[in-house]
Parts: sequence; C-alpha cells; structure tokens
Amino acid sequence: MERAKEKRLSSARGERGAKLLFGLCAAFSIVAVFAIILFVLYRSIPAFREIGVFNFLFGKIWKPDWESKVTAGKLEYKDIFGIAPMIVTSLAVTLGAVLLGSVFGVFTAVFLSFYCPERLGRAFARLEKIPMLRTIPLKGFVQQIINLLASIPSIILGFFGLVVIVPIIRDISPNGLGVGVLSAVLVLAIMITPTIASLSKNALEAVPREYFEGSLGLGNTKNQTVFRVMLPAAKSGIMSAIILGVGRAVGETMAVMFVIGATPGKFPTSLFLPVSSLTTTIVQEMGYVSPGSIHESALIATGFILLLFVLLINLVLNFTKKEKLGGDTVFHKKLSQAQKERKGEGYVRVYKQKGGIQTALKWASVAFALTIVFTLIYLVGFILVKGIPYLTPRFLFGESKNGAPMLAPAFVSTLMIVFMTLLIALPLGIGAAIYLNEYSKKGSKFVKVVRLFIDTLSGVPSIVFGLFGMIFFCGICKLDYSLFAGSFTMVLIVLPTVIRSTEESLKAVPDSMREGSLALGSSKVRTIFKVVLPQAIGGIVTSVILSVGRIVGESAALIYTAGSTIKMPSGYSGTGSTFAVMMYRFQVEPVKGLGVNAMYATAVVLLVIVAFLNLLVSLVQKHAGKPKEKTKKEKER
Amino acid sequence: MKQIEKFSFERGVAIDVREMTLYYGDFHALKNVNMTMPERQITALIGPSGCGKSTLLKSLNRMNDLVEGCRVEGVIQIGGENIYAREINLARLRKNVGMVFQRPNPFAMSVYDNIAYGPRTFGIKKKSELDGIVETSLKSAAMWEELKDRLNKSALGLSGGQQQRLCIARALAVEPQILLMDEPTSALDPISTGKIEELCTELKKQITVIMVTHNMQQATRVSDKTAFFLLGEMVEMGDTERIFSMPKDKRTEDYITGRFG
Ligand SMILES: Nc1ncnc2c1ncn2[C@@H]1O[C@H](COP(=O)(O)OP(=O)(O)OP(=O)(O)O)[C@@H](O)[C@H]1O
Ligand SMILES: [Mg+2]
Repeated sequence: MERAKEKRLSSARGERGAKLLFGLCAAFSIVAVFAIILFVLYRSIPAFREIGVFNFLFGKIWKPDWESKVTAGKLEYKDIFGIAPMIVTSLAVTLGAVLLGSVFGVFTAVFLSFYCPERLGRAFARLEKIPMLRTIPLKGFVQQIINLLASIPSIILGFFGLVVIVPIIRDISPNGLGVGVLSAVLVLAIMITPTIASLSKNALEAVPREYFEGSLGLGNTKNQTVFRVMLPAAKSGIMSAIILGVGRAVGETMAVMFVIGATPGKFPTSLFLPVSSLTTTIVQEMGYVSPGSIHESALIATGFILLLFVLLINLVLNFTKKEKLGGDTVFHKKLSQAQKERKGEGYVRVYKQKGGIQTALKWASVAFALTIVFTLIYLVGFILVKGIPYLTPRFLFGESKNGAPMLAPAFVSTLMIVFMTLLIALPLGIGAAIYLNEYSKKGSKFVKVVRLFIDTLSGVPSIVFGLFGMIFFCGICKLDYSLFAGSFTMVLIVLPTVIRSTEESLKAVPDSMREGSLALGSSKVRTIFKVVLPQAIGGIVTSVILSVGRIVGESAALIYTAGSTIKMPSGYSGTGSTFAVMMYRFQVEPVKGLGVNAMYATAVVLLVIVAFLNLLVSLVQKHAGKPKEKTKKEKER
Repeated sequence: MKQIEKFSFERGVAIDVREMTLYYGDFHALKNVNMTMPERQITALIGPSGCGKSTLLKSLNRMNDLVEGCRVEGVIQIGGENIYAREINLARLRKNVGMVFQRPNPFAMSVYDNIAYGPRTFGIKKKSELDGIVETSLKSAAMWEELKDRLNKSALGLSGGQQQRLCIARALAVEPQILLMDEPTSALDPISTGKIEELCTELKKQITVIMVTHNMQQATRVSDKTAFFLLGEMVEMGDTERIFSMPKDKRTEDYITGRFG
C-alpha cells in the first residue's frame, strides 16, 4: 500500500514535470524574441551613442569609408551614418511592391476562388473532345503554381531579376542602368504576390456560402456578387494578407540585393535610380567592417530599426486579425429585408446597374492570374534552359581544384545544417505544439502571449536573424562562423513553422481518441505520446519538409553565421555554405571558368529541390487525408 | 496489472451514489442523485436527451475531470471507497471502471495494439502474456474468430459494429470490474446491436455493467435495473420489469408510454 502510494505520487510528479517541460518549449518563442530584440539593441548602442539616435535616423549621408577621412582631419561624425535614405528606400520599394503584389495577389485569389474551372475541359468547349487534355485539373495546377512560386528561395528571385528583369528595364531606362528602384519593386512584387494570393483565397473561402447564394438569389449576377459582396466580406482577411506582405517585403534582402543598385545614401528620387535599402546595406557592408567598429554597430543598428518596423507591422497584424467579417452593410440590410419580402413578391435586385464594371473585373482577374502562371513558367523554364547544360557531374559532385566552383560542399553543408536544426527544432516545436493544443485552458493569457510571440518570430526578417546569430552564437557563445552557429540560427527561423504545422495536425486528432486512452487508465503523457502524436505524424512530416525547404533556400541568415566559404565543411565547428549561400558567393566573387553559369546551374539544383519538396508536401497532405471526425475545439471556432 | 488493487464490493453493491450534485460552470446538471447499482447486473439509465445520463456515467470513472468548470458535490462510493476523495488513484479507478463510448473510438493502430494498449499502460511487456490477453479479450467480446487473422491490420479498417466490439474488447483487456457504456449501439445497425446486447448478457456473469440507452426495448431486453432521469434528477429506479410495467412516478409513466406508444 505504501509503495503504491509512493508510485502514485511519483507518477503525478512526472505528469507535472512533463507539463512544465512542454510549457517551457512553448515559452521558448517568447525568450527568443526578447533575446533577438535585446542583443541586437545591445550591439546597436555604440552606434546610437556615437552618432546620436536623431542623426542616425534622419541623417542624409552614409559614408562608411570615414577612416580615410579621419587622417585628413576633416571628420564630421554626425552625418556619416545617416540611414534616412535607406529608410525611405525600404518604404518606397515596399510600397510599390505591395501595391503591385496586392493587385495581382487579390485578383488571382478571386480567380482561383470563383472563376477557375476545376478541369481544363470546362474552360474551353473545344478541349472537351480531347480526353487527355480534358481532365487536366486546372484549378489544382494553378494552385500548385502559386505554392511553388511562394516557396522559391529569394536568392533565385533576385537572380532572375538580375538576368531577366534588369536587362528589360535597362532598355527603357533613361540612364541606361537596369538596376534600381523599379527592378527592386518588380522582384519584390513577384515575391509577395503568391503569399497575398494564398491568404486572400483563404479569406474569400471563409466567407459563408449563404452570402454568395443570397446575393444570387436577389437577382445579382455572379460577377456583381463576387466583387460587391464576397470581396468586401473578406476584407479583413485580405487586409491581413497585405500587411503580411508588407512585413515580408520590408525585410527581404536577397531578392533585392542584386537588382537595387547597391548605392547607399541615395534617396529614391527616380524609378530608375540605383539605391540601397536597409537590408541590402547590411548584407553588403557587413562583410568588410572591422569587428567592434562603429560601422559594424551602425549596421546592426540599421537591423534594429528594421526589426522595429517589423514588430510594429506584426502588432498591427495582430489587431486586424481580431476583426470579424467585414462587408457592405447596405447589402446586409437589403439582404435581410429582401429575405423578409421574398415570400411576397419575388426578388429584389440589390444593385441596379448592369454590372459592366464587374464583368471587366472578372476578365482582369483572369488576366492577372494568367500573368502569374506565365511568370512562374517563364522563370523556371528560363533557369532550366540556361542552367542544365552546366550541370555536369563534375560541377555537382566533383572535387574542387584551384577554387573552381563545385556543389559537393553545398550538399554536405546543407545536410549537416538540416540535421542539426531539426534535431533541436523538432523536439522544441513539437513540445510547444503539445502545450498549446493539449494543455492550454480556454482563454489562457499565457497561450495568447505565446501565440503572439510565435507570430512575431515568424515575421522577423532573415537578415535580423542573421545579425542575432552573428552577435549571439558567433560572438557571445564564441562559436565563430560555423555550421553550429548557422544551425542554431536556423532553429529560430523554422521553429514557428514546426509549431504551427504540428499544432494543425494535433487539432485534427479527434478528442474521442484521447478519451478512449484516458478511460483505460492511461496518463495524459502516455496518451499524448502513444495515441495523439502518432496520428499527428502527417503534420510533423510536413513541418520537416517545410523546414528543409527553408534551410536549403536560406541565405541572408546564414552568410554571417555559417559563413560563405566554397570549401567542404570540416565539421560542425567549421564554416560551410548551403545552396543559396553558394549562389550568393558565386555572384559576389565570380569564379573562374563558369562565371554567371555557375549561378544558373546552382539555381537549377535549388529549383529541383524546392519543386520536389513541394510535391512531397502535397503527397503527405493527401496521404494523411482529412480527419473524419471534427474535434470539439474545431467546432467551437 | 496484477499489482493494481481491485475494489472490494460489499453486500452485492458495486456503486453507491449519495446526494450527488454536479455543475458545469453555473449549469446545474445533476441534482441530488441517490442510487445504488448492484454487482454483476446490468443497470440501464434512461431519460430524454440532455437529462444528464452521460454526465452521471462519466462521473463514475471521473472522466468529467476533463471538462473545464465541472464541479461535483456529494459522494460516489465504489466498493466502499469515495472515488472523489483526494487520495484516490485515477489510473486504478479507470482501470477498474472501464468505459465504452457512444461512437466507436479505436486508436489508429492495429487491432492487436489497440487491445494491448491498456495492459501495456500497466506495465505488461511480455509478448506471450500480451498474446494471451489479446486472445481472451477478443474471445470475451466474441470476435476472436472474426479477427484472429487480421490482428495486425489497422483497427480503422473495421466496420462500425466491429469497431465498437473491439472497443469493448479493449476495455475488457484491463480486467475491469465495472463497465460503463454510453449508448454503445446508437451508431450501429440492428445486427451489430444484437451482437452487443448478447455480449452484455454474457459479460454480466463476470462484471457489472452500467448502460445508457435511448432505446426502451434495449433496456427491457438486457437490463436488470433501470433508472429514469429527467432534467438532472433521478426520478425513479427499480427492477427493469417493474419500472416498465408499473412505474410509480407519473413522469416515468408518461415517458415510457410516450415512447412505446
Ligand atoms: N461539457 C459540458 N459543459 C457544459 N454543459 C454540458 C457539458 N456536457 C453536458 N452539458 C449539459 O449537461 C446536460 C446533461 O448532458 P448529458 O450529456 O449528460 O445529457 P444526456 O442525458 O447524456 O443526453 P443525450 O441523451 O442527448 O446524450 C445537458 O443540458 C448538456 O447541455
Ligand atoms: Mg449522452
């Protein structure tokens, strides 16, 4: 009897210990966000103090090569590190890209939700007769293209901008330069369009079906319904999508790096002017600052300002999310009124016009969606055609002699980082997801805060992660540039993905299974590990695949943490480059023999990996299937 | 599993509910319930939807603990022990008081692992021992012949009726003294229902069964005692035959005649 009691107590303690452990995993995101803010701030202070916050923010001149002028004796500290031009550039480029991206993204979402036929045969009567073409799932295809475009690493987009968009702009530019504001806007727009499109589509599909039918029932045309009822009803969701796009665009580094012109200190006074944004300045100059200098601190401070922007955007996002379905209140009034009257004398048309504008909008949505599809096909096709000829076995796996470019080290480094990152991020992320889904009580403050910080973490730009990794892992933890430092930095980047994806699939496990296990006398921990987690395997696998994709394509966060050597890594404490970093390196220091072709070839490898991972994700999701029984939690939402 | 202590029933009483009251937050779901459920018999709980049958059933093995804001007052004694007392071991309680749910809820594992799940929880690891338990449990649920060649197939591939009987077998695998069943046949076809009813009659030779049912005929067919609930109150309890032939309470009469007629 005594023994039994003791055992019971120890098992209760075990249960509490497990809960605490999962809670700590969940709290990790909070710690991470604070650590990033504090350490980046800490290393910005020398710059703020030396330059003055006001001069730093509003100074119009950026002259990092001041040391030579010190000897000349005419140094004016105050004006030398002014980031006002970069701030304005970042905002301007973001504004342009978001305007373009929203138009393309939202129209594409409308097309996908309302106009895209399921199968190709439905689109064109003539194709009905050709059995092979008829059954092509058009909608799925367009969706896949959007997904693929969303997962293309930013360095590839930047490279595409460099070799395709810049030459086009050069032709129309009055100054004969292709690089500059406009090119950056275009590349960024391509980058954020798929994100805005997917999220807007989700928002549109969340609008209750009755709205659609109600409006049709009132005698409106389909086009009127789509553009005057459905779109306004999805307003707040679409707003969130666009704000998210703003966050991504303002923090993007590699996609704009090659095309913006790399000219710090210039205001974007013309569309064709070469300039520098906050992010590109950091990446370009961090490589040659002397450690501990004010210049280094000024770059970190630039990152800090960027971080503040992004945090602000995130807060805004957090507030817009809370809003309910928006919409045309006039419509609602008339809808309910008409429903009352319907019994009497037929339908009332809400909108009297013939709907010519809406019909035009319909065709606009078709055109915008087609443009997206075409852009992706062109991008992929272009890179494949240019890159495949250089994809020799020697280039892929050969041994590097005389510094000739080879990808073998990238394979090894990437695999090593993937392994180490997942080794840490998976337990941490799964633990956090378990806490959020299995232990949290309704309306818990802690859970709300954790979610806010997970969202915040996922909005932090790569370059800021890179700065943090450089300061904390390389510097304070004395890891130097190493695969360790790179992997630890990547843990922070992939963690939100792992948590979300795991939590999604935990939610899909019906509560009845948990009850079944608990009713047999199993403990909560055993229930979670033996019954719930095995069923959530789909989400975990998905999170692994997404993380691998993220690591393979990541560059800005790795250049100053894992380094950018083209050599084979010597171990986790040695440096190494992933594929994307390798591409960056090939651009910055063109290599003998291959030149830009090395970039094409690397891009092909990256694209193939990304496409393969995308395919895997959709296979896993199909295989894992939809849960048969909805859980209580889901019903409540 | 052997080292988990059983409850020792006295004078043929398995469960004794005394002045039991239950709240879900502010909602008063059970009001001053008093009843005794005899050992090795089948007690049926009947009553209109929402009257608190499932609530009572779930409080017998404290599955109500999972519901946020659920509060229990009064005493529920099993074998003389108050199961809401602080020192009660939940694992022991639930091992001895098994439960079968309205919808079959097999785990997403093989048939074998489903049944071995409970015994494994209580530390049985030996393959030979588990094999034995799986076989006896399936036999007691009368599905050994049906399933002996499919032990390694996923339990989710079984039919609804088979799944429900598997859940019964799974519950039996930990050798419970009491089995709680919440409308175990409401999601099943008549043939599966018949099999489960037969099974219950067989089971009561060994264990005590408490069954919630919406189906009056089922109650008369299988149960020894019947308790009628209305709006959170236990209105009347007695021998099944007596309850259905000459109910003492007007409300019971209204309910059963309304249903039968
Ligand atoms: N988790 C809960 N939280 C709040 N109220 C609940 C909860 N579960 C049940 N109730 C309420 O308690 C009352 C009794 O519910 P219970 O499920 O016990 O009814 P029941 O007799 O089993 O009904 P049915 O025949 O429909 O299964 C109902 O009014 C129900 O709404
Ligand atoms: Mg019920």
